[in-house]
Amino acid sequence: MVTASKRFNSFEMAQAQFDHVAGILDLDQATRDLLRYPLREYHFAIPVRMDDGTARVFRGFRVQHNDARGPCKGGVRFHPQETADTVRALAMWMTWKCAVVDIPLGGGKGGVICDPHNLSMREQEQICRGWVRQIVQDLGPQRDIPAPDIMTSGQHMVWMLDEFETIRGGRYPGFITGKPVHLGGSLGRAEATGFGVVFTVREALKELGLRAADTTASVQGFGNVAQNAIKLYQQIGGTVACVSCWDQADQVSYAFRKKDGVNLDALLGIADRFGGIDKQKARDLGYDVLPGEAWLEQEVDILMPNAIEHQITADNVRKISPRVRLIAEGANGPTTPEADAVIREGGVFLIPDFLANAGGVTCSYFEQVQSNANYFWEKDEVLGKLDLKMTSAYVAVSELARKRKLSMRDAAYVIGVSRVAQACRDRRWV
Amino acid sequence: MNGPTVPDLPPFDRRFFGGHERFTRIGQGAVGGKGAGLLRIHQLLLSHLEPGAFPGCAIEIPTLTVVATDMFDAFMERNRLYDVVGEELPDDRLANAFQQADLPAELLGDLRALVGQVHQPLAVRSSSLLEDALYRPFAGVYATKMIPNNQPDPDVRFRRLVEAVKFVYASTFFASARNYVRMTEHRIEEEKMAVLIQEVVGRRHGDRFYPDVSGVARSYNFYRFGHARPEDGVAILALGLGKTIVDGSLSWSYSPAWPRAAPPFASARDMLHQTQTEFWAVNMGKPPAYDPIRETEYLLRAGLQDAEHDGTLQPLVSTYEPGSDRLSPCMARPGPRVVNFAPLLVHDVAPLNAVVRRLLADGEQVLGDKVEIEFAATFSGDGAFPTRFGFLQVRPLVVSHELVAVESADLRAEGLVLASRNVMGNGVVDGLRDIVYARPEGFEPRLSRRVGAEIAARNDALLAEGRPYLLIGFGRWGSTDPSLGIPVVWGQICGAKAIVEATLPAMNVDLSQGSHFFHNMSSFQVSYFCVRHDGDERLDWAWLARQPAATETDLVRHVRLDAPLLVKVDGRTGCGVVRATAAQGD
Repeated sequence: MVTASKRFNSFEMAQAQFDHVAGILDLDQATRDLLRYPLREYHFAIPVRMDDGTARVFRGFRVQHNDARGPCKGGVRFHPQETADTVRALAMWMTWKCAVVDIPLGGGKGGVICDPHNLSMREQEQICRGWVRQIVQDLGPQRDIPAPDIMTSGQHMVWMLDEFETIRGGRYPGFITGKPVHLGGSLGRAEATGFGVVFTVREALKELGLRAADTTASVQGFGNVAQNAIKLYQQIGGTVACVSCWDQADQVSYAFRKKDGVNLDALLGIADRFGGIDKQKARDLGYDVLPGEAWLEQEVDILMPNAIEHQITADNVRKISPRVRLIAEGANGPTTPEADAVIREGGVFLIPDFLANAGGVTCSYFEQVQSNANYFWEKDEVLGKLDLKMTSAYVAVSELARKRKLSMRDAAYVIGVSRVAQACRDRRWV
Repeated sequence: MNGPTVPDLPPFDRRFFGGHERFTRIGQGAVGGKGAGLLRIHQLLLSHLEPGAFPGCAIEIPTLTVVATDMFDAFMERNRLYDVVGEELPDDRLANAFQQADLPAELLGDLRALVGQVHQPLAVRSSSLLEDALYRPFAGVYATKMIPNNQPDPDVRFRRLVEAVKFVYASTFFASARNYVRMTEHRIEEEKMAVLIQEVVGRRHGDRFYPDVSGVARSYNFYRFGHARPEDGVAILALGLGKTIVDGSLSWSYSPAWPRAAPPFASARDMLHQTQTEFWAVNMGKPPAYDPIRETEYLLRAGLQDAEHDGTLQPLVSTYEPGSDRLSPCMARPGPRVVNFAPLLVHDVAPLNAVVRRLLADGEQVLGDKVEIEFAATFSGDGAFPTRFGFLQVRPLVVSHELVAVESADLRAEGLVLASRNVMGNGVVDGLRDIVYARPEGFEPRLSRRVGAEIAARNDALLAEGRPYLLIGFGRWGSTDPSLGIPVVWGQICGAKAIVEATLPAMNVDLSQGSHFFHNMSSFQVSYFCVRHDGDERLDWAWLARQPAATETDLVRHVRLDAPLLVKVDGRTGCGVVRATAAQGD
């Protein structure tokens, strides 16, 4: 079984990827030095009075990797194993992600070392408000726009927004995204990341000459991204044979398999709000309950790692079935460079994370545009634009990969890094 | 039941005009009746019509993509709209509920891409599955919405397109559509809708976009005039969008075999009053009042002066000379214009009729049956040859070949309720015990809408009871202009098995001869009697008044007979009679 332990340093991995692309682009040293590290970092303490009356101090972060193309954009994660390096890596990936889908935003990321499973809602609210108070001067619609991420939700965003508006005096719905729809959120935001993954899968299947209806997939994760990816993939005709998720009680993950296709609604009916599926109820519904890593070993055409980073590694990459034709990285950094090399050698088509999962930030951008204008779009309009944006980005990456004989990941990096580098040069930062 | 499906069509590659294919699909389901018809045209054009058959004239299917029925299924199910449909809401409430629902996510990107590159009007048309399954056209039953699609902001164009698609989906469940499907012995829940998104054939003239000519032609016609035989067929032409013809408004009918033979007008002056004076166009100008649930939201009606200003009348009109009560060809002199298509049909300035005849013949060969075609054409600026002939639809015609003999002499027989030598249809109907008629006493054209509403209510009731009936009214059935006839849509009278359009001194108009509902009538084999009050046709109003009323108001009477009527129509002679059997005779 796979545990949530971190055996890799994400930031080193992100830097290695950047160095590789900087070589392809032949970037000058100053640009490399600028882009290899965040522009700004904030590390701070968040004291909280707990429900039992005791005081406890949580560690918080905000990393602003680059804002040459626009205000920083990135989620705030609540995770017990959060590290500064993880946040740095994720901020850097946000920069490339915004650039590759060509939205006018830079990259940022934040986090708090905590486990919401063990915190009351009031305690979580205090963490959210404390997080904003610590860096309020460097947040805002023109500077840095937070969003939900792992184990944070629309409710957390409302608390952060309220704290920000209380301090600043006024209403700034564009300060934060991922808000509930009735408080300035965007229709379609909940679906955006998962649907975005499938928009790119759909385009990749066209390139591979496959019909969605003839394919089967295995999905890691059962949170918001995975659920919506499964939903749209099934709607375009695909069959999901296996999903996996984290079991909070056992502190391990399990895979749930049904070879003729999982029933999304049935699984949602036996899952908790974090996407943890009840093992016994799943067995009762006829699912095989397998060790977590089994999701990777299924005889399917498509793998969608939609959970967390470092899930396809040198240790398990060779367990991938030879039948697999496509991997779509719905999660950030799910594949280590060593595993990436093996996948490439095996001829498996891979849609890299910051392209595949860019639907979320793209829709966040739409939300911010709507919030700033205080004019909100129909869901049709949001999802229609999202599809076009994702498809255009996919096509641009795919064409570059074909023309320059690059992997999809390298091609996406080349597009993202070159756009950011150009913006830095245009501003005469380098 | 499923008809042609998407494997017959290439997928939409997000390039509407610039793609390899001009006829594509979105989705994986069936393409519906109109989609199937267009596939047949595609086959016809590829296999039968050699390139350059008509020099200077491009004959083609206007570029389109079909949104297949699986998208309709997804729309209905994901938004739980069958629950809404089950409530049998009024049409406007239903349409509103559909506007609130979300189109399937897998469709939106394609629609957004489409409007991103197209800046000219689009027609969003229904293409029903039952229409295809029953091999039967549902002409005028479901909605078509034209959108100008010329707003500078692609977001606005996208919203208008999305609204139009939802409106067409909603029209699947409008009251008249429910009634219509009930007549087919299917359930409305079985119906599925594909949607055609098609470029509108035409040219822009200021705020108006329209084709120079729209037309419908049929290769068989049980209504005859002049020398024409049924197999000579009939064509109906109109200036501007084809809505003029669909609505049963004034347009020009002729036999393709006898294009120079004018319909029977009493005089040139009479022709001036009985030919088209208005036409429909897509409104490219100032945005109209926002009303996404109105079919004509983006349409406008214009007059002949507007068309003359646009320079589109030249190949379509003659000019009336009041001094001599004659028509002079073309527009050489000032004067009232008469849309009689003489430059095209008499002086052959363009091979329009030749193209129509060829396509009817080829259509019959491809379908192995009598056919109906729809088309629209634009001419080059100098009014010479058609630069473009858009082939919009081909459908099989349901034609009865039952041998029924009704001669002119039979029309004088005793005991007839009704006798006419102006009858469409063919065959015998002998089970009718219900008659719904507009009361002639006190009828005035200003009451036409009320008469239509009351007849629609009787139609609903008789449909629910499963009782077909004989319908009698004044003027042109289905006219949108209440001064010309009773403004109903087919679904409001679809329970009638025989229909009479009569004249009165107060409603003395040129009868439609069923032009509005022709296809529905021929599909369901409904007889259509024309009875002029000043002609030699007979309609025994006194006998009707003596029959017992099931319901009656001051405008409409519904009588129920003890013994059935006998309806006989001879399609070869165009003569027909309705006879009361013994119990009602007097």
